Amino acid sequence: MNPEQLLQEVQEIFRDNFDDETIVLTRQTNAEDIEDWDSLEQINLLTAIEKKYGLKFNLADVRGLQDVGDLLDLVVRLTA
Amino acid sequence: MNAYTMAHLTVGQTESFTTTVTEEKMAQFYAITGDNSPIHMSEEAAKKRGHAGRVVYGMLGASLFSTLAGVYLPGATCLLHSVEAKFVKPVYIGDVLTVAGTVQEVNETFSTITIKAVITNQNGTKVTRGVIKAGVEK
Repeated sequence: MNPEQLLQEVQEIFRDNFDDETIVLTRQTNAEDIEDWDSLEQINLLTAIEKKYGLKFNLADVRGLQDVGDLLDLVVRLTA
Repeated sequence: MNAYTMAHLTVGQTESFTTTVTEEKMAQFYAITGDNSPIHMSEEAAKKRGHAGRVVYGMLGASLFSTLAGVYLPGATCLLHSVEAKFVKPVYIGDVLTVAGTVQEVNETFSTITIKAVITNQNGTKVTRGVIKAGVEK
């Protein structure tokens, strides 16, 4: 999957989830950068990503995620 | 009271209950929230706006989603995460409401479920729709 395309698609998921069209993601974006990105929203984001890409995360997959880059790498790994 | 754990929840599972909106419940809701908007408090004001009578607080109806999740589906195992409610038609005092929920998604990894909820009145008219997300004990 094209990394830039994936970033754009995940950014769209973030925008939908937070209802905020101004969100611009980079690989370094983390929960400190988006005010409402808390543990509850983390679940909503991950389940939306599961749906989008037909994935099924397990807890080991998602426990260590630190930023958007980690998330993108996980999606790439599971869709490879 | 139900207490479905994750192992006992499947997509399509449904639960429902019925309750009547009374003057007393309206008064109690006002006492809790302080919402004294005329459409809820005054028969005359409500009729001026084309309603059959005082309009029941939309959030009073939506509060029944708390009961649906906390008592029926999944019940005592529930930790409410979010409720999205849409107030489709007005509810009036004396209406008999049936609150029904259907499990739409089950996520084992995060121990969460999504419930599609609907409230219908005694005429079968859909008055409120909702999407409930909840954590569930394993």
